[in-house]
Amino acid sequence: MDWQTLSALAADGLAVGSLYALTAFGLTLVYGLLRVLHVAHAGVYAAGAYAGWLAFRGGGGLGWALLAGAGCAVALGLVLEWWFYRPLQGRSPLVALIGSIGLFVAVGDLLRILFGPYQHSLPVLPPRTVVGPVSLPQVVVVAATAGLFLVVYGIATRTPLGVGWRAIAQDAEMAAAVGVPLPRYTQLAFALASALAGVAGVLVGVYYNQVYPTMGAVPAYKALAVVVLGGLGSPWGTVAAGLLLGVVESVAVAYLGNRFPPEGVAFLAMMLVLLFRPQGLLTAEPQG
Amino acid sequence: MTVLEARNLTKRFGGLVAVSGVHLRIDAGELLGLFGPNGAGKTTLFNLISGTLRPDEGEVVFYGEPITHLPPHARALRGIARTFQVVQAFGELTVLENVLTALAHRALTGWLPLGRYDAPVRRRAAMELLERVGLASRAGERAKNLPLGLLKRLEVARSLALQPKLLLLDEPLGGLNLRESEQLLEVLLALRGQTTMVLVEHNVRMALPVCDRAVAMDAGRVIAEGRPEDVRRHPQVIEAYLGEGEDA
Amino acid sequence: MYAVTVFTQLCIYAILTLSLNLITGLAGQVSLGHAAFFGIGAYVVGVLTTHGIPFAPAWLVGGVLAAGFGLLLGSISLRLREDFLAIATIAFNFVVVAAFLYLPYFGGAYGISGIPKPLGNAGFPLLVLATTLGVVWFHERVRASDLGLAWMSLRESEVAAEAVGVDVRRFKVTAFVLGTGLAGLAGGLYAAYIGVIRPEDFGFPLSVTLLAMVAVGGMGTLWGPLAGAFVLGGFAQAFAFVHNYQLVLYGLLLALVMRYRPQGLLGKLG
Repeated sequence: MDWQTLSALAADGLAVGSLYALTAFGLTLVYGLLRVLHVAHAGVYAAGAYAGWLAFRGGGGLGWALLAGAGCAVALGLVLEWWFYRPLQGRSPLVALIGSIGLFVAVGDLLRILFGPYQHSLPVLPPRTVVGPVSLPQVVVVAATAGLFLVVYGIATRTPLGVGWRAIAQDAEMAAAVGVPLPRYTQLAFALASALAGVAGVLVGVYYNQVYPTMGAVPAYKALAVVVLGGLGSPWGTVAAGLLLGVVESVAVAYLGNRFPPEGVAFLAMMLVLLFRPQGLLTAEPQG
Repeated sequence: MTVLEARNLTKRFGGLVAVSGVHLRIDAGELLGLFGPNGAGKTTLFNLISGTLRPDEGEVVFYGEPITHLPPHARALRGIARTFQVVQAFGELTVLENVLTALAHRALTGWLPLGRYDAPVRRRAAMELLERVGLASRAGERAKNLPLGLLKRLEVARSLALQPKLLLLDEPLGGLNLRESEQLLEVLLALRGQTTMVLVEHNVRMALPVCDRAVAMDAGRVIAEGRPEDVRRHPQVIEAYLGEGEDA
Repeated sequence: MYAVTVFTQLCIYAILTLSLNLITGLAGQVSLGHAAFFGIGAYVVGVLTTHGIPFAPAWLVGGVLAAGFGLLLGSISLRLREDFLAIATIAFNFVVVAAFLYLPYFGGAYGISGIPKPLGNAGFPLLVLATTLGVVWFHERVRASDLGLAWMSLRESEVAAEAVGVDVRRFKVTAFVLGTGLAGLAGGLYAAYIGVIRPEDFGFPLSVTLLAMVAVGGMGTLWGPLAGAFVLGGFAQAFAFVHNYQLVLYGLLLALVMRYRPQGLLGKLG
C-alpha cells in the first residue's frame, strides 16, 4: 500500500468517521439523560440536510446551509422533546422507543412527499483536492467536526450545564434533588444534539453531493452501532468509536470491495460487542 | 429443627465489605427480626439467602441441603419466599392474578406448561389467600391501581401462595403509615407459629416486640443475638443506633 | 379473486402479529427483527421447493430453522438490557437480510422465483386460513396458560417473577423460540403463495410495521394484534393512495398512539 492510497483512505475514513461521530454524539447525550433511544434523531438529521439544501437553492453558500440545517434541526428536536419525550418520561422506555421509530419513519417519508424521492445535489464545495489526495470537502468536514467538538468539550467541562448533564446521567433523582433544573437542561441537550445532527446532515449532503429522503436510514443504524461500540452513555467514547468505525469501514471497502457489504462491518462489530462487551469497547465499567 | 443456616457469609462490592463472616441460624416456626442501621448489611444478607446475590465466601444451607449456588427461582421452588423493600407487584395483572402467578409454581418445571392458570382449584386457593390478608374484595382490580399498603399485603399473599417453609420480609413496614403498619403486622402475627419468618425492618419500635428472637447487625457483622429485650439493651447495639438517632 | 389475495395477505399478517405478540406483548421482550424469521421460513421453502422437495416438509423445516435462530437470538437477549436488546434485534434483521443478499443459493438481489404453490389457487388459501385459525387457537391457549402467566409476570417484574419460581431466563428463550417458529411458518406460506421472494421483503421496515401493528392494536391481547394486522394491513392493500402515503401515515399513527394511548387502541384502559 503506497503513501497516496494510505492517505486517501485515512482522509476518507476520518471524514466519514467525523460524520458518524457528529450524528451519534447527540444520540448518546440524549440517552444518558432520558434513558431512551432517540431513533427520531436520524429524522432530525435528514430534515437538517434538506434545510441546508433549501438554503443552498435559495442562493446561500456553505455557511448559510450549515446555519439553516442546524436551525431547522434544533427546532424539530425541541418540538419532539416537548411534545413527545417529556410527557412519556415515567413510562416504559419501550413506549418512547416504538413511538420514536414511528416519528423517524414519518419524517423520512414526509421529506419524500415534500421534495420527491430523487436525490438532490448539494454542490456547495468544489471537490478539488487540497493537499495530496485529500479533498476540500474532507478538510471542511474534519475541520468543522473538530471545531464543533471543541466547543462541546468546553461546554461539557467548563460550564454548569456540562456538570449538570453528568449528574443527571448518573442519577436523575439526585440531580433534581440538589437543584439541577432537569427540564431546561434536557431541552438544551436536545438542542445541542439536534444542532450537531443538522450540521452532520448538511455536511453529508455536501460530502456525497446528495440529499435524499431515506438518507437518515443508514446513519440511524450506523449511529446505533457507533453508540454501542463506544458505550451507551459515554459521549466521548461515541466520538472515538465513530472515528474508528469510519476508518475501519474505509479500509474494509478498499480490501473487501463487493464481497462484503460495508454496512456489514458496522453491524458485525456491533453484534460482537453486544455479545462480549456490552459496555462498549472504550468504557471501563459495565453500565447500569 | 433448623430451617436455614448461613455459615461464614461474606460479600464484597468492590472495596466495600457489605457482609463479613456472618453466621445465622433460623429455627422452625420462629419470627426472627434482623435489625441494624443503614448500611449494616441487612438487605445484602437477605439477598444472599434469597439467591439474588451469591456470596464471595461461606454457604447457605436449607434443611441440611446447601443452596449457596441456586438461583432465586430454584430457591422459591424449594420453599423460600420473599417480599421486596420496594414493592414488586405485577402491575398490569389483577390482584387475583398476582397471587395466581405463585400458585402456578409447581407446573413451571416443565418446558411447555399449558394448563390453565385460573383453574377453579387455583382460583379458590387464591381467593382464600386474599381473604387472609383482607384483599378479597379487590381481587379483580389491576395491581397498579392499588395503594402501597395494600400492595405490601398483596406481596405477602403472593408469597404465601408458594406454601413457603421460610418467608423473608424485606422492610415490610417501609412507607406505611401507622394504621397500615398495624394492619400488616396483624397479618404477620396471624402467621406466627405456622410459617417461619425473617423480618428485616428499620422501624425498630414497631417490629422488635413481635419477634421471637432478634439479631442485630452493624457494618456487615452480627453484633448481638438473642431475645428482643436483651438485644435492645445490648451496649453495642445502643451505640450503633445512637449514631443513627434511632430510639433503640 | 382479488379479495382472496388480500384476505390471504391479511391472514399472513395476522400470524406474524400474533407470533410477535407472544414475544413482545406477552413476554415483554422487544423484537425489532421479527421480519428476519419470516424471511428465514420463506427462503427455506423457496430454496427447497424449487429444488424438488415437496411443500409440507419444506414448510416444517422452515419453521424449525426459524425457531432455531430464535433460540440463538433468545440466548443473546439474556445478556442484554431492554434498549440493547432492541438494537440487537435490529442488527440481527440486517445481518439476516445481508445473508440473503450475499450468500450463494439465495439468488442474490433477484431472490428466488418460481416457487410452486401446493393445493392450487382454491386450496392454498384454505391452508393459510386453517393455519391462521390454528395459530389463533394456540395463542389463546398459551395466553390462558401457566406459560402465558409466567411470561406476563416476567414482563412486569423479573425480580418478582424469579421470587415466585419463574425461571426467567428459560422462559424468555421459550418466548423467542415459539414466536419465531410461527413467524417462520408464516414465511413458508408467504413464499408459496406469492411465488417470488427477494431479500428486501424481509427487512427492517417490515419489522417496524409488524411492531406497529401489535403496538397500535394493543399488546398482549388477542384482538389487538389481529386488529392491527387487519386494519393497518387492510388499509395499505385496499387503498392505493394510502399505499403512497403508507409510511408517513403508519409512522405518525405509531407516534400518536404511543404518545396518547400507549396500551394500544384495543388494549385495556389503564
